[in-house]
Amino acid sequence: MAYQSRESVAVTGDTNYFLKKKIKLGITYVVLILIALYTLAPLWFLFTNSFKGQADIIRDPLGPPQSFSFSYILNAISQIHFFRSLIITFLITFFSVGLIVTISSLGAWMLVRNKTKWSQVIFMAFVAAMLIPFQAIMYPLIQFFETLGLKNAPGLVLMYGGFGLSMSIFLYHGFVKGVPKGIEEAGIIDGCNIFQLFYHIVLPLLSSITVTVIVLNSMWIWNDYLLPFLVVGNSNTKTLVLELYFARILAGQFGNPWELIFPAVLVTIVPIVIIFLFLQKYIVKGITDGAIKS
Amino acid sequence: MDIYKKWFWILLAPAILLFFLVIIFPFIVGLLNSFLAWRGTYYFDPETGIRAQSMFSSFIGFENYTNAFKDERFIRALVYTIQYTFVAVVVVNIVGLGLALLVTKAQKGASLFRTVFFLPNMLGGLALGFIWQFIFQIVFTNLLFSPDGLLHIPFLRYMTQDSTKALFALVILNAWQFGGYMMIIYIAGLNNISRDYYEAASIDGATPIRTFRSITVPMLMPSFTVVFFLTLSNSFKLLDQNIALTDGEFNTRLLAMQILRTVKDTAPPDYGKAQAQAVIFFLLVASITLTQVYVTKKRELEL
Repeated sequence: MAYQSRESVAVTGDTNYFLKKKIKLGITYVVLILIALYTLAPLWFLFTNSFKGQADIIRDPLGPPQSFSFSYILNAISQIHFFRSLIITFLITFFSVGLIVTISSLGAWMLVRNKTKWSQVIFMAFVAAMLIPFQAIMYPLIQFFETLGLKNAPGLVLMYGGFGLSMSIFLYHGFVKGVPKGIEEAGIIDGCNIFQLFYHIVLPLLSSITVTVIVLNSMWIWNDYLLPFLVVGNSNTKTLVLELYFARILAGQFGNPWELIFPAVLVTIVPIVIIFLFLQKYIVKGITDGAIKS
Repeated sequence: MDIYKKWFWILLAPAILLFFLVIIFPFIVGLLNSFLAWRGTYYFDPETGIRAQSMFSSFIGFENYTNAFKDERFIRALVYTIQYTFVAVVVVNIVGLGLALLVTKAQKGASLFRTVFFLPNMLGGLALGFIWQFIFQIVFTNLLFSPDGLLHIPFLRYMTQDSTKALFALVILNAWQFGGYMMIIYIAGLNNISRDYYEAASIDGATPIRTFRSITVPMLMPSFTVVFFLTLSNSFKLLDQNIALTDGEFNTRLLAMQILRTVKDTAPPDYGKAQAQAVIFFLLVASITLTQVYVTKKRELEL
């Protein structure tokens, strides 16, 4: 009898405990859902208002469109030369990131494997340069590249290559240090030359940090406004962000042309959202690794 | 024969060359030019009043710097940037940590929430700035916080048309955008804390607040270092959102925009003065980040 009553006490205590835990978890979810709605709300405004005319947008910014019209999107696509600027943005990002990955992985590998006073000085120089904000060098840089005849898209790729170096070399350097030299020595004995050694043995070992380097640099270059603004400006090699900026400036002389801005913003961000949803595992991992290592 | 030694300079050459052309050389020229009457395409000679024959006759000592400090707009941008950075670092950190704690508590759907909170980070500051400009100008002003709206809060109306309000508008926008990024870093930090500590604490009967203060916070110190570093330098160098939201109207220029617009404020464009501001900006950014890294590293070691 005594034994039984003690058990029943324990059981009611447990249900209380679980109930409390459940309520707590429920509150957590309610808060999470509210914050998620808040996070997504601006994107909802963006979506719904991309199908409305100016008067509709001002009168009812939150609701769904009265009549579903693609005319605003089509207009925005032609105004910002969507397909041209998408290809330009893609090519610039692709070549810049390719350049950064190639030369920083090679460089960092050499800096780690050949330990001399020089390699330490050079590495410190790369790291110290991370303290220099872009503003401190932009004017002389643009002037210098103009005299070289490189104030254009190829010049832009080279500049991104230079700016991406410091952080990428830093990340690769930290990673190569943890890769044992023995595997490479085996390769050397088997008669690999330096490029075979790098391409077939070293690069595959670096793949996880390469993901980080690609993610961090692509995100920055794809969305960058200032450097393309200074280098290509209002020419016909504008990137997506730049097209968006100039469309806004041009139309904005007569108030805020929301019926152009919303669809223009929508079409510029759709490619990134799609890429993000497909590659988010790698992107999140890349960000986390990058942040922890730096 | 050491294969690495043989190839060292050859394989490092592209990186060094590009680094020199894009960073080092312009940086040195920039330092030099901040002491010259530099007009962008030419150097001005203050003695003769015309184009200088050589760079040396254009030397004006610290005049660009004194001009910068005499410029009301520069001083205002400097103060505004410091105020903004202070508020933004605090708010973005709290938002990031709060999100991380909530997401790690959730059992099912944690990765879905993580994706949603992180999403704004993928999008460009300019594009997001335009959307939020609309939110502040139309949704906040005419709907949510107007006299016959949800709640009448005058402070949250016309936020892009007043210097103080616009500062908080920028904070709201950036907390929304970067909160998810900081959350990712905090989540990684939280997952690194061993469960054993929490078990020991619960056996000792520690309250949740006590556990948070005595275990979570000290164990998260490395994440704090990273997040402080990122928010500090992001806020100090913020440009795109500033341009998209107010474009510097109503005295809302941050330093990055001030340096960019100085050459438009002056005729002929005074690149020397802009460059002097850029050098001051560099000194500020470098000293703040170095101090911050030093202090948090030291605290990390003490704990």
